[in-house]
Amino acid sequence: MPEGFGLVNIIMIYLLGTTLGALRLGRMASVALAISNMLAFDFFFVPPVFSFDVEDIRYLFTLGAMLIVALVIANLMVSIRRHREVADSRERRTAVLYAMSRELTVATDAKAMAAVAVQHICAVFHSTAIVLMADAHGVLKSISVSEDSFDIELAKEVVARGERCIKDAIYLPLRGSRRVKGVIVVCPQPAGRSLPTEQLNLLDTFAAQLALSLQRARLAEAAEAARLSEERALLRNTLLASISHDLRTPLTTIAGAGSLIAQPEYALNVDRRATLGRLIEHKARDMTRLLTNVLDLVQIEFGGRALRSDWHTVDDLVALALRGCESRLAQRSIIVDLPSDLPLISVEPTLIVQILSNLLENAAKYTPPGTTITICAAACEERMMISVADDGPGFPPGDPERLFDKFYRGRSESNIVGVGLGLAICRAAANLHGGNIRAVNNPGGGARFEISLPVSARDS
Amino acid sequence: MTEAMHLVLVFEDDPGIQEILRMLFDANGFRVVMADTAARGEQDARLHRPDVVIVDLGLPDRDGLNVIGAIRAWSPVPIVVLSARTAEAQRLAAFEAGADDYVMKPFSAPELLARVRAVMRRHVRGDLPMGILELGDASIDLGRRVAHRRDGRELRLTPLEHRILETLARQRDGIVTHAALMTEVWGPVRDNTRALRVYIASLRRKLEVDPSRPRHILTELGVGYRLVVDAASQAAN
Repeated sequence: MPEGFGLVNIIMIYLLGTTLGALRLGRMASVALAISNMLAFDFFFVPPVFSFDVEDIRYLFTLGAMLIVALVIANLMVSIRRHREVADSRERRTAVLYAMSRELTVATDAKAMAAVAVQHICAVFHSTAIVLMADAHGVLKSISVSEDSFDIELAKEVVARGERCIKDAIYLPLRGSRRVKGVIVVCPQPAGRSLPTEQLNLLDTFAAQLALSLQRARLAEAAEAARLSEERALLRNTLLASISHDLRTPLTTIAGAGSLIAQPEYALNVDRRATLGRLIEHKARDMTRLLTNVLDLVQIEFGGRALRSDWHTVDDLVALALRGCESRLAQRSIIVDLPSDLPLISVEPTLIVQILSNLLENAAKYTPPGTTITICAAACEERMMISVADDGPGFPPGDPERLFDKFYRGRSESNIVGVGLGLAICRAAANLHGGNIRAVNNPGGGARFEISLPVSARDS
Repeated sequence: MTEAMHLVLVFEDDPGIQEILRMLFDANGFRVVMADTAARGEQDARLHRPDVVIVDLGLPDRDGLNVIGAIRAWSPVPIVVLSARTAEAQRLAAFEAGADDYVMKPFSAPELLARVRAVMRRHVRGDLPMGILELGDASIDLGRRVAHRRDGRELRLTPLEHRILETLARQRDGIVTHAALMTEVWGPVRDNTRALRVYIASLRRKLEVDPSRPRHILTELGVGYRLVVDAASQAAN
């Protein structure tokens, strides 16, 4: 025994060994190490050496204290390590949950959310997953893409009981605000592998997170539906109000003129009868145009209709619009400036003719006779720009964008016939083609509308 | 005059429109037979052998398209559709069932009369001979396929343009559907709508005084084209 070193230091070295061992070993191993260290100290250093016997009874106390200190240290070290491991795993859990919830926030509909959840579950738990949601009739339907099979009866039971169920796969309920709205079926890979409790708990958290997001999607959907129905109600009311006013005015003229002609005792001369006849025809045509606009708008806004596109020349569409408005444009001079090498455009012709007619009608309504109306077109990359401009008084002050609002009239309370739907239809029709229309003040004075359409319209 | 009075058979169930049509045709030297149902009208057609038939598509007992088909099955009498159905597909369906022209409600009386007279003229004279076609200041010899302007300036039409013009001219004042035009010009091979539009645009540039506002080669949206020779009379309508 090296005299200078002393037993105390040797005890310390043994304790250090125990401590270092506990850093890496589990609880039982650490305890075993503490005991074996104590025995080794006894065997090698406590006289008589190389024997477990103890000469001096005081050494028993030393050995006892050494064992207790070693055990306490081992225990402490092991619990510290446990805590660190738990903290680490909690952090990992938070990270994977955060990653999923961040992607869930971006997803807008239930399908996308299910896809995000399935993808994350696959990455974190090495499992495949299927998301089942109850539809309006309470029938469970898969909303994620997967070929895995699952037990629909078991899924129904999970929905009914609202509790996790583990068979050959793990069935987790997706809870809504009041009841279970769906089930997520997780199949660990390879098949039959079971997950530790901690992973199962994490899976529960995943399911809860997905359920929350699905709930949010449902609420957003409901809010959107409410907003739409409110907008529709507003549109319907305004439409009814405007139509009843704007149809009644020409109807009054028609009924009045008709009743005049119908009275033989008034003995109207031929000229007067002709005037009344023309008035009736004219007003009836106004009403027809108004009706066409209303029907078009209703179709575009509410119908969710698909485009019936076909290839047309801009020349043809412009010519058709001009032909339809011929009589009303009689006192305006028209300049059509279309390059001969314009490409054809794939559009629904009636809608484009309707846009052009409405713009021409407007020009006829809001400009004095003698005004020049210019129609130009140019192709630029994959877009066709068509403009209808006049050198009249231009737009009323204010934002020209307002002109495209439904029922907005450039000059309210005027005797100009219309319900303020013409430009709203132009915009709706242009948007339907994936294009747009805007109003700008002509550099040289007057109003100018610019229509931009994709050369080949995709249904938007 | 009496033996020259043409008989028009009208399938129409609305009393107001019946009255207007009766006045219109009475005032213009036609005899009128009114039928307010398809069944009644078909009997009248066999009984009276009308010179022209006007069909409203929305009849109470049967669809007007059906009536057109039934009449076409045994008679080449010209048929003009008078309908509130404005969708292109429905107009096209009427032509495919065998209608000769289509006037949309609300209609203008003089326009309807002009269309009725035009289909009757075409019916009487049949396919036009390959004569000389005068359009504005252009003169086209359809038989020899030569064209020139009245002031002597040269006018060159490609062979395909000649063929399109010929096909339209044979049905002048009447509508030639896209399908019919393409079959005549290219044969029954494929859908050539884009090419057709380009050729029509090119023909207009050569023949129309103002190609941006054509007076002779008119587009009937979704259905086909119509060649109007006497542009002045059309404009008056």
